[in-house]
Amino acid sequence: MSAVDSPPAVASRPVRRLSTRFLRSELWMIFGRRRNWAGLAVLAAVPILMAIAVKVSGNGSGSEGGSGPDFFASITDNGLFVALAALTVELGLFLPIAVAAISADAISGEANLGTLRYLLAVPVQRTRMLAVKYTAVVIFAVSATLVVAVTGILIGLALFGGGPVTLLSGAQVSFGEGLLRLLGICAYLSAGLAALGAIGLFVSTLTEQPIGATIAIVMLTVASFILDSIPQIEWLHPYLLTHWWMSFGDLLRDPIGFDAIRSGLFTAGAYAVIFLTAAWARFSGRDVTS
Amino acid sequence: MSVLNSRPVLRWLVPASAALAVIGGGAAIGALTAAADPSLPPRSAAQLLVDVQTARLDGLSGTVVQRADLGLPALPNVGRQGSSDLTSLVSGTHTLRVWYSGPDKARVALLGTLGETDVITNGRDLWIWSSRENTATHRTLPADDAAKATPTPSADALTPELLANAVLAAIEPTTAVTTDGSAKVAGRDAYELILAPRDTASLVGSVRLAIDATEHVPLRVQVYARGGGDPAIEVAFTQVSFARPNPEQFVFNPPPGATVVEEGTGTAPSDPAKPDGNKPDGNKPDAARPDSNKPDKAGPGVAVIGKGWTSVLVARLPAQPADDKPNAKPDQGQGLGDFTALIEQLPKVSGTWGSGRVLTSRLFSVLLTDDGRILVGAVSPERLYQAAADPAAKLGP
Repeated sequence: MSAVDSPPAVASRPVRRLSTRFLRSELWMIFGRRRNWAGLAVLAAVPILMAIAVKVSGNGSGSEGGSGPDFFASITDNGLFVALAALTVELGLFLPIAVAAISADAISGEANLGTLRYLLAVPVQRTRMLAVKYTAVVIFAVSATLVVAVTGILIGLALFGGGPVTLLSGAQVSFGEGLLRLLGICAYLSAGLAALGAIGLFVSTLTEQPIGATIAIVMLTVASFILDSIPQIEWLHPYLLTHWWMSFGDLLRDPIGFDAIRSGLFTAGAYAVIFLTAAWARFSGRDVTS
Repeated sequence: MSVLNSRPVLRWLVPASAALAVIGGGAAIGALTAAADPSLPPRSAAQLLVDVQTARLDGLSGTVVQRADLGLPALPNVGRQGSSDLTSLVSGTHTLRVWYSGPDKARVALLGTLGETDVITNGRDLWIWSSRENTATHRTLPADDAAKATPTPSADALTPELLANAVLAAIEPTTAVTTDGSAKVAGRDAYELILAPRDTASLVGSVRLAIDATEHVPLRVQVYARGGGDPAIEVAFTQVSFARPNPEQFVFNPPPGATVVEEGTGTAPSDPAKPDGNKPDGNKPDAARPDSNKPDKAGPGVAVIGKGWTSVLVARLPAQPADDKPNAKPDQGQGLGDFTALIEQLPKVSGTWGSGRVLTSRLFSVLLTDDGRILVGAVSPERLYQAAADPAAKLGP
């Protein structure tokens, strides 16, 4: 029963002021690593490639007409759609992979390097450590989404220019409102990815192999996408995390439809709560041997 | 915390109870809203019918979920989940948003995953907007029809209100009309009205209408197949408001860069909607043409065999098969190529009446004979074969 030995000692100490030092060091671990820089560069490369491809070919819909991915046809009208098209494309794999890699690295990465026990010996309460790690994951999810969106906007404006944005309903809004809606989409997608990060954090507490955890989360995401495309198990779909991700399109309607957005946020919140508490249950009672 | 320290297993109670709270909470809310039948003063079927016919509706807006489980064969490029094509409505689940403010102001938006198809009427203007194709189709309705014009038959079937009116119009002595207590739809109290065909040969088991207790507007329509199971078609509001929508909802200006198709005037509202019907149909399918070894002596005739729920509609197959299925939703767009492919996938049948191909679904059957006739009815294929042998169905002069 020696699984937990530090908390009683910590509890008797005077409570420390909330310091951001740990969080800052976590963020430095994420954003200071060269491999993560490479990952973000790949995320940013997609909108650039898409915009250049559309610019070179001269139209967004392809030669046979209307067969390109969503929003491609609108790119030539308005540069803002480069960001939307890039987000749509990357939401299927790239963004989940990025979040999976970072969140899987949170605990098992430290365990793999052998630094976890030193970190806990500082001492850092395990609950606080989880909280800080997850905060860093959420910040990464937001930044990854924003990297794609901002790169898309910049390259889109440079190549195609701005102007009023045509919504899915056929109505037009000003460029400023279009930007605002894009920001809302980024926030919504970040919430979904943050929930995936919570699953990642939980898986990360189960193993000492960050790569295994990453693969597990990516497989989970892909499986969820596959299940979501099988109409025979429609009853299951609302419970799938990824089912709601594509609902971000509702923010581009006139008037905005909040039903699916609300359900999506609720589902993301439910996943986050369940898996964060599971991560806590697992991690605070776990033997740390490495 | 000491209990948790001495018994770490207990920590798992936290995520477990969180999961239970989320799943159980969701299920409990669903069960509560479903089970809590409101207690309404009893109302007879006749009273309900009158209520519906006399309902005065100022305005309405809401979200409609439409489910179709017709048991149709898999159609190529049709019915994909999340598609915003109007043709996709024949199968799967679809969400529509509806705004209504008088007969000359209505808007129906079919929400695709990242697309939208809108049908908007405003005065004499009828717009069909497809975000996927970036195309706006404009039609001007005839002046005298403008007052009673409905957004096109395809939109007709979309709102529970209009669909119910169509069903009620078909009531005859052939139908048993009963009430079944009350229900809660979209958070509102509603009466349930059941229409059941007396003729057991019909594939339609029953049609259930949930009628709002105060506004007398149908909130849900469910069509059950005789075989039982889930509704074959269900159109229901999930959220509804009876406040008059903002008039801006009905103003449509095609965005710059969109293709605008002008279809001119004079289209009677009873014509099937064909938003992309102006596409060049260079690949007119040969397989669907009337067989050449039977000279086309009869003009395009229509006959009805039987009556009530089991009546069978017989028609001469038109050369262009795009709008030959009265029961089906309108065929549009790339329908022509798909249609030929679809016909060739149908099983071949033959009998004393001749030979042809048959399409069966849970609610209706379609028989395409090789001599160029089409028979449609809410009956089993066997009934169609009988009807095909009927002299009245020969459609000859």
